[in-house]
Amino acid sequence: MAQRIEPDLQFIKELQEVGGESLKKCYQCATCSVACPISPSANPYPRKEMVWAQWGLRDKLLNNPDIWLCHNCGTCSDLCPRGAKPGDLLAALRNMAYQRINPLPCIGKWMTSAKYLPILAGIPALLYLVLWIISANFVAGSAFPVAEGGKIVYGELFYELYFIDPVFVTLAVIVAGVFFVGVRNLIASLKPEGQVLKLGPGADKSWVCCLIDVIKEEVLTHKKFQDCGADKADRKIGHMALFYGFVCLAVVTGLLAAGFWTQMILGWVGIHVHNPFHTPMSFANPNKWLAIVGAVLLLTGLVLLTVRRLSLDPKKSASNYYDWYLLGVIWAVAVTGVLSMLLRLSGVATLAFPMYYLHLIAVFMLFAYLPWSKLGHLVYRTAALTYVRYMGR
Amino acid sequence: MAEKIGVYFDKSSIGPYFDYDELVEFVESKFGGLCPAVKAHPLLAGEDGRKMIQQDLDDGVIDSVLVCGATPRVDWEFYKFGNDVLVDRVNLREHCVLSYMEPDGSVPELTEDTPELLLALAKDYISMGVTKLQKCKIPHPEEIASSETILVLGGGWTGLTAALDASKAGHPVVVVEKAAELGGYAAKMFKSTPLTYPHNTAQDSGIEAKIAAVQADENIKVFTSATLVQLKGAPGTYEAVLSGGETLKVGAVVLATGWVPQSTDVLKPLGYGSSPAIVTTLELEEMAKRGELKAGAKVAFVLNTESCVGPEAFQKLEKCDEEAPAEAAKPAAEGEEEEAYVHEDLETSRHLPYASAVNTMVVLKQAGYVADNGGIAYVFYDHMIVPGIHERFYKAAQDKLGVMMTKAAIAGIEPDGDGVLVKAADTLIGEDLEVKVDLVVLPTGMVPATAKDPVMNFEYRQGPAFPDLDLFDGFADSNYICFPYETRRTGVYAAGAIRQPMMLDAAEDDAAGAALKAIQCLESINRGVSVHPRSGDNSYPVFNFVRCTQCKRCTEECPFGALDDDEKGTPLPNPTRCRRCGTCMGACPERVISFDTYNIDQIGSMIKQIHVPENMDTDGPRVLILACENDAYPALDMAAQRGHHWSPYVRILPVRCLGSVNAIWVADAMSKGMDGVMLLGCKYGDDYQCHFVKGSEICNRRKTNIAETLERLGVEPDRVEQYEIAIDEYDKVPVLIEEFLAMIMEKGPNPFKGY
Repeated sequence: MAQRIEPDLQFIKELQEVGGESLKKCYQCATCSVACPISPSANPYPRKEMVWAQWGLRDKLLNNPDIWLCHNCGTCSDLCPRGAKPGDLLAALRNMAYQRINPLPCIGKWMTSAKYLPILAGIPALLYLVLWIISANFVAGSAFPVAEGGKIVYGELFYELYFIDPVFVTLAVIVAGVFFVGVRNLIASLKPEGQVLKLGPGADKSWVCCLIDVIKEEVLTHKKFQDCGADKADRKIGHMALFYGFVCLAVVTGLLAAGFWTQMILGWVGIHVHNPFHTPMSFANPNKWLAIVGAVLLLTGLVLLTVRRLSLDPKKSASNYYDWYLLGVIWAVAVTGVLSMLLRLSGVATLAFPMYYLHLIAVFMLFAYLPWSKLGHLVYRTAALTYVRYMGR
Repeated sequence: MAEKIGVYFDKSSIGPYFDYDELVEFVESKFGGLCPAVKAHPLLAGEDGRKMIQQDLDDGVIDSVLVCGATPRVDWEFYKFGNDVLVDRVNLREHCVLSYMEPDGSVPELTEDTPELLLALAKDYISMGVTKLQKCKIPHPEEIASSETILVLGGGWTGLTAALDASKAGHPVVVVEKAAELGGYAAKMFKSTPLTYPHNTAQDSGIEAKIAAVQADENIKVFTSATLVQLKGAPGTYEAVLSGGETLKVGAVVLATGWVPQSTDVLKPLGYGSSPAIVTTLELEEMAKRGELKAGAKVAFVLNTESCVGPEAFQKLEKCDEEAPAEAAKPAAEGEEEEAYVHEDLETSRHLPYASAVNTMVVLKQAGYVADNGGIAYVFYDHMIVPGIHERFYKAAQDKLGVMMTKAAIAGIEPDGDGVLVKAADTLIGEDLEVKVDLVVLPTGMVPATAKDPVMNFEYRQGPAFPDLDLFDGFADSNYICFPYETRRTGVYAAGAIRQPMMLDAAEDDAAGAALKAIQCLESINRGVSVHPRSGDNSYPVFNFVRCTQCKRCTEECPFGALDDDEKGTPLPNPTRCRRCGTCMGACPERVISFDTYNIDQIGSMIKQIHVPENMDTDGPRVLILACENDAYPALDMAAQRGHHWSPYVRILPVRCLGSVNAIWVADAMSKGMDGVMLLGCKYGDDYQCHFVKGSEICNRRKTNIAETLERLGVEPDRVEQYEIAIDEYDKVPVLIEEFLAMIMEKGPNPFKGY
């Protein structure tokens, strides 16, 4: 049955705005699909996505899980004889998806251009400024409180119980909710291109099994990055360093919270215990070691990925604001975090607290906007990979 | 007449493999006073060597020069000593030293101890060379005061450009245009495909400026609403009769009458005629020019033509093939008064795919009209044919938001309500699809004007039109790849869409090329020399009419129609139409036609110089190779230069064209006792490569007669064989020679040997 075609020119324009500006240059030679190290042999991407994009076939593109299979190594764009940048198009489609599948798409839109940066940064800046003023007046008694012995303790000003955890716990709940809705929207829209017959033991795996397999076989090992080719090794190492850096810091933060709340809750019932992770932690504390390892991994990954992006040939592959926003925020988190520690140790309260304030803003920007930013792939790519694995693509 | 021939050996070309004293002595003892100076020089192709020859000439010791050394294809300009000194060459390098091998196939390391067979080879070639010069005369061509005027037929883009170019070169020009206005199709276009850098946007052609420039040029005379009724005479002294009754003296002609749109019947399989919303690119162009293209329109462009080029079209072509020879044969057989000429309509459905490159470019341009006007243009194609620099235009068209392209097979084009439904299969989208559009645009076939009409109306014995037009479906040029602009009539040069479908930029180049060819022709005529491909040759055919039997073979076989008849039926030569190929000489059974530097007696005498040993079993056979000097001879040179070798029993004799080979030469060779004759010519047939168009084809026809004669004499006819060699097939020639010799060895000696 022939399909009636109605091109959506507006959609092509939108795609071109979010990073696919060269998509019209494709002349369908299929070099990209052949070159891609991880594209499946049946209905491979990204050739078909290119022609759909050129023809403005909105529905086909939005229902396509293959955009999530791509790990953006850029081989296709490197080899494209027309400079059509298929890799960038798939990235653009993912960027578009972040806006489309998440609730509150306006946040996604704010991530497309530098002109919205004041809004994104302004929200946490205002929030923490208010909290700072409240604490200075009612809790800490000073805007730059210094503890006994001239020590700086950030908890004196931004007391965990009142200021840190309520905000981030609320955020975590909201972000989890957004991801839930987003994943549901994503899965509902997907119609896989081509399926393979599932045979043999374990053919009918459950969703959970598939998810576990994806995490075990692909996420933790970065196997797809490996498959993307040895020439992209810096990208794999950079991404992995960043990934495990975040894992370390998540463990550190988790232990901090766990220690604090255990002591707190037990204190309410009259049992007084020592919190091994009381901040600021000493350098003898293993959790501190982990924090430092995490920070070093984070910075290593950032350096590698930033250098790679800066050295990209703009004729082959372009970095857009989406890419730079995420890298910038992570840089901000890492740099302000490390400087906060150094300034704290140096004992200059008037510099240390503003730095910690900036750190809080950066962390807020990273986590609160997670589903709409490129980092949303943490959840959505995992979900799509699980889906295609479940569908047998 | 060469009476005192200086023979010079160039040691640097040949190498130390001969005892030059022996060679000198051989020439002196054999030819005596005919060769008063016989010398070997260590570096003849140097200033010193040249000085030595010049000294002998100045001293009056010699009157002509025979250089024995490298192939005549090199240094030919170096060995020029003026028009009054005959020069010839003996190829002792390629055809002796480099290609030598023993009869058993082994290639010896050559030393100063010359193998006997190599020495025999060299002696034969030297004797042939001396004899050739001996039988040469210095030609004294007639210098014709030619008209400087160039007639340009067609006042369209190509014709106007040619007129301006010729005028700029100082020639008076006459432009004859059939329509009432100048400008042709270029003036009907809304925009042209890109003509200038960066070659990515449709632009105004600038035809108005071109028309104005022609009208303002005092050197150019324009006749509109006029056609050429008759072209009498020969290049340089043509008389052009126009439909208005004017008679003009012109020297040469640029043919730029362009194309006519093919009948739209051919587009019926694509739905043409079933809806007013299905149009051709030509019609859309006119709509755009009138500003009738709606904003925001959806338009489907279809470039697929396979469904239109069906078996019917081929039937029509086959019919042409059958009829053409029949027509040619009739007057030859009967010799009756000719019937009135009827020009067969050569339009076929194949003119549609022939125009595919033009249609592709036009569609890219028109898709731009639609997309720039807020619409959507779908382009369905089987082949996206964008020649050369126009790839940039394709890229630019692709980049337009509203242009959607896909390779596809067209499954249907049907009227649907107020629009048309186009169905496409095998698309790049990956599935069959259909689009509803406001307009469907189909390609336009371009039929050259010469397919419909003689156009030239030559007053030539061979008829008013170009011959063999059916070979090219009516396109007027004769050597499509090698010699652009040339036609089968000397002095008439084709440019633009009459030659092949093309766009304005290519037509502009064509116009300049054809105008230059026309000028070159006039500049050759007034010096009495030949035009391309024997440019500068000052020999010309001389007729000994006393012995002519009015058999008309020469007048019919001349590829360029150079010969008319006088009242008695005797051939009437038109030297300026002639290209000096010698086909007439090869045709003449009475051998009344000759050139001062190339004639029956000369070649026959050269063949007689070949020493044929009586006993083939002990001294080997001898095989004569008559090699076309345009393709086969260079191929042999290349073979030798690239380390191929061939039997020492063959003797190579270059001829101007296989068409010039007279049967008597073969008879000479066979009666002399040679065991076989190889005729090496170029490819013939539909995609012939012959410089003189018909040479090897005619030779092949004559060969049948030769074979019959041989059979009567009791000689196996397959001792004479013709081969088709392209210039790049150098690796093939030695193999052919080897196979031929093996065949001869098996057959045994020529029964005439020893008589």
